[in-house]
Amino acid sequence: MAKEKQTVTRRRFGKALAQAGAAAAAAGPVLGQAPGPGPVDQAPGPPGAGPIGPVVVGNYALNDQLVFGGIGIRGRGMSDLRQLLGDSRVRFAAIADIRDSAREMVKSTVDNYYKNHDCVMYRDATELLARKDINALLIATSDRWHGLMAMWAAQSGKDMYIEKPAAMSIMESYALADNVRRYGVVYQSGCQRKNQFAFEFAVGLARSGKLGRLLAVHADTAIGLGTVDAGGHGWWAAESPEPEPLVFDWDKWLGPCLWRPYNSAYADRGRGEFWDFHAGLLEWASHTVAMAQWAADMEYTEPVEYAPEGGIFRGDGLISRYTINCRYANGVKLILRNHSWNLLGSCSNRFEGTEGWVETGDSGRIEVSPNLKSLLPTRQGTRYDPTAEHIREFLQCIRSRTPPRANADVTAHAHVASHAAWISAQLNRKVTWDPAKRMFLNDEEANRMRSRAYREPWRMEALATNM
Amino acid sequence: MEPAKLLALVKDPNSTVFQKAIACKKLAFVGGKEAVQPMAALLSHPQLACYARFGLEPNPDPSVDEALRAALPKLKGRLQVGVITSIGVRKDAKALDAVTKLIDDSDAEVAGAAAAAVGMIGGLQASRALQAAFDRTKPPVFPVVARAALLCAEGLMASNRPRALEFYTLLSANRMPDPVRLAALRVLNAAGPAPPGAKAYPPPTGEAAEKDQSGFLGRGR
Repeated sequence: MAKEKQTVTRRRFGKALAQAGAAAAAAGPVLGQAPGPGPVDQAPGPPGAGPIGPVVVGNYALNDQLVFGGIGIRGRGMSDLRQLLGDSRVRFAAIADIRDSAREMVKSTVDNYYKNHDCVMYRDATELLARKDINALLIATSDRWHGLMAMWAAQSGKDMYIEKPAAMSIMESYALADNVRRYGVVYQSGCQRKNQFAFEFAVGLARSGKLGRLLAVHADTAIGLGTVDAGGHGWWAAESPEPEPLVFDWDKWLGPCLWRPYNSAYADRGRGEFWDFHAGLLEWASHTVAMAQWAADMEYTEPVEYAPEGGIFRGDGLISRYTINCRYANGVKLILRNHSWNLLGSCSNRFEGTEGWVETGDSGRIEVSPNLKSLLPTRQGTRYDPTAEHIREFLQCIRSRTPPRANADVTAHAHVASHAAWISAQLNRKVTWDPAKRMFLNDEEANRMRSRAYREPWRMEALATNM
Repeated sequence: MEPAKLLALVKDPNSTVFQKAIACKKLAFVGGKEAVQPMAALLSHPQLACYARFGLEPNPDPSVDEALRAALPKLKGRLQVGVITSIGVRKDAKALDAVTKLIDDSDAEVAGAAAAAVGMIGGLQASRALQAAFDRTKPPVFPVVARAALLCAEGLMASNRPRALEFYTLLSANRMPDPVRLAALRVLNAAGPAPPGAKAYPPPTGEAAEKDQSGFLGRGR
């Protein structure tokens, strides 16, 4: 199924590329763009969506461009790649992937866009990281690689736009933020709703005081939760012969995760049901908890208390419906739930105060309490992908060396909060967290769940290892 | 499942690799001192070593450190790398001498893991060990030594600031990898002004200065 979907996407994307190329040829040169063998001036549109216009900012000659490399780009990463290619500040030079099909797909896309054959392919990401001419990275591997790859990128001195969830554990969250700070690189996680109008508006209401005294921020977590015993954790698919590493490198696909025998189902059917490979609650919480922390002005800390309520534990170890009530030190509540939303779209958030409330989601629609209706913007109600704006902010921060909205520190704190909530749900009991000590209080089992040991030979180079 | 039953699965020679793996994973969260030796016995198993380390690393019992130290000289290659890494994660200072020696191992993966572990263990002795390794290591181990030293210097800032700044100064030298050098310079800049007697980068002289009619370059205004 996943393969079929991918094929369709590639075909449609190729068609969009061809159309974009024709449009570019007809349109002629774009003002402000460097002459010569630069990128074509029309970015391809996303499959099934309307065309995306060229993003031409300033007058960037080729030698001013930011040279990008990509690591692990498919699906969501291709959407990010399209936005990058459409920006005149960017030249995309190389791709690293453990799948030959993915390497070829990205090279083909990039070369078609630039009308050359220059995109270099690597099987091993470390070879790409060693290239001194590459300034920045687009990293869109699966969850299990995000944390370690971010650390490698930082240690190589490269800025990065990296998909979420950013880290598989509390310890890895801190370690990646430590490395980004230590090496002074610019980090933007793929928490693109931080640059989406409806969410910005809702967060702005909460932060401005127009909701009165803030009481609670709600985060939609959407999916069922895997636990230590959840599906995939308690079984291994039947072993089948490993492919040639040049075609698909199973050892590197596993990366820092625990070893298990090869079966194509893990890579082809998705990773969601496998606790070993997936950041579970953080699939959506990495978006919605980050927004909630932003709204509550709690981006650099975490709640101190986490109490699961009403979890429905299924026989396969999944928790299908749940609410996790969390509390910040100042008394404001953070409520994670995967039910009872106002149908405003995926990744919903709701912020409640003494003088009103606001709720929004991916539909772009915004609902507020009756007393705040006059504040509703006329622009609301349009669903759109804010990735272009999010990437644009990242590129500006590369120049200015300032932290973007989804920088490593705020990402780490949102991830720590989400992991702590997930741990409380797995243990099905209230836990208390000390943000300063980075540990649960009086709960050794919860503290042991803060980390996941990396499989050899992978390692994190970090101070935050035995917090 | 009760810890005792999980432990029985790990010990049972008739248990499958799968059963032992799952048992180790669960013992990571609930295993006590009695779980340490049975899991340590799996550190030499090609597939189960990672599960054993997964089970051992978060266990706070000091016998874990003893078991990892005991396993260290008995292993080679990736399996030894795994144990070195776990020692680093646990910051076991008692293993510092043994791990430091492995920075000179002929296997670059082992040597790199050892350097990284010394950096994570940290402290004054670790800083001296890494400083000594600057002159006798080459790529691909040297960059790891430099990163480990950066980590070590950061850890020293709270306990021994003068030594930390001295170490950062060494790490700001031209021979260091660029990311490490720049990181060290940022810390030194934040720590205070350049040391007394430090000279500014030379202003333009000769023809370049002659061409500058504004008086801006070289002469100031």
